[in-house]
Amino acid sequence: MADFSFRSFRILVVDDSSAIRQLIHSTLDIIGVGTVEVAAHGGEAVDILKKSAKPLADRRYRPGGSSIDFVMTNVDMPTVDGMMLLRWIRRHEESPDRFLPVIMVSSYADPAKVREARDAGVTEFVAKPFTIASICSRLINVIERPRQFVQTADYFGPDRRRRSMPYDGPDRRVLTEDDPGVEVIHD
Amino acid sequence: MTDAQGKEPKVRFYRFANRLQSKTGVPAGTAGRISPEALAKAQTAIDEMAQDYPDWAIGQLDQLADRHKRLVFSPDARAEHYKEIHRIAHDMKGQGGTFGYPLVSSISESLYRTTTTEAKYTDSEVEIVKAHIDSIRVILNSRIKDPEGEVGQRVQRVLESVIKKLR
Repeated sequence: MADFSFRSFRILVVDDSSAIRQLIHSTLDIIGVGTVEVAAHGGEAVDILKKSAKPLADRRYRPGGSSIDFVMTNVDMPTVDGMMLLRWIRRHEESPDRFLPVIMVSSYADPAKVREARDAGVTEFVAKPFTIASICSRLINVIERPRQFVQTADYFGPDRRRRSMPYDGPDRRVLTEDDPGVEVIHD
Repeated sequence: MTDAQGKEPKVRFYRFANRLQSKTGVPAGTAGRISPEALAKAQTAIDEMAQDYPDWAIGQLDQLADRHKRLVFSPDARAEHYKEIHRIAHDMKGQGGTFGYPLVSSISESLYRTTTTEAKYTDSEVEIVKAHIDSIRVILNSRIKDPEGEVGQRVQRVLESVIKKLR
């Protein structure tokens, strides 16, 4: 199995704890990430993301509008927290790339918090206390198994169905891909 | 994008090529890995940071102790100090286990729950806050990493009995 090279990656780490920022920064440095940007809260992260915007036509429908490749953010921070940052990335018109993968790191491992993050369009969720192994396994997921994005009246984010499970019952889904109400956008 | 009638679709799927994997040098659809040597090196770096953890965590603990003093001497401003204690406890909860001190995490979690916005700002509750701070100090000063060890167990038992007595 070949080793991933992260030399051309640029990752934004957002955490109000300088110790955790340093820990994640060191880990990413050691595994060879080219550039690690850091922010102490969501507000700083928004400023960095705005500056990272690259020229891109049809930004609302295309990924790659930011020089940042993905964001790792804590949930609970003063001023602008991780959930607000995630919503800004996914929904705000000034977001440079609303398809940006977001890994959320939190001491809240309770299912309600995880659901809230999922419904706000999070890509991966890591519970604190975390280990090098848990961070790296989420990193590999983001790289190897990107999910299609889904947009409905009340959701925008990675497909919340991670797997296709065998199911013998009737198909109750209202829309199929051939329905005129469904649009599929490719590269 | 809208259709011929100018209507937005009900559902839109976006399916893009795997940009990230294409930047890693490992072709998309092929399994890759993070170099085991790099992982081992990262773990060593964390272990080294963990050695210093009790020293800088004591700084956070001193902030907690300072806030506790203010709870005692300024009962009218307890809500404000509870909020700050709650924030510091949240930080310590996330850091302790990550740096090899799971008891710091579990006691900080208990302190975090004790100081929610629904907390009662009574003198007994303020004493319970102090019991948490004292327990974390013992853990850090004695470098207790094992929650099942004799000292770790004793610290937990004492804290539980103080909470039981005061509530």
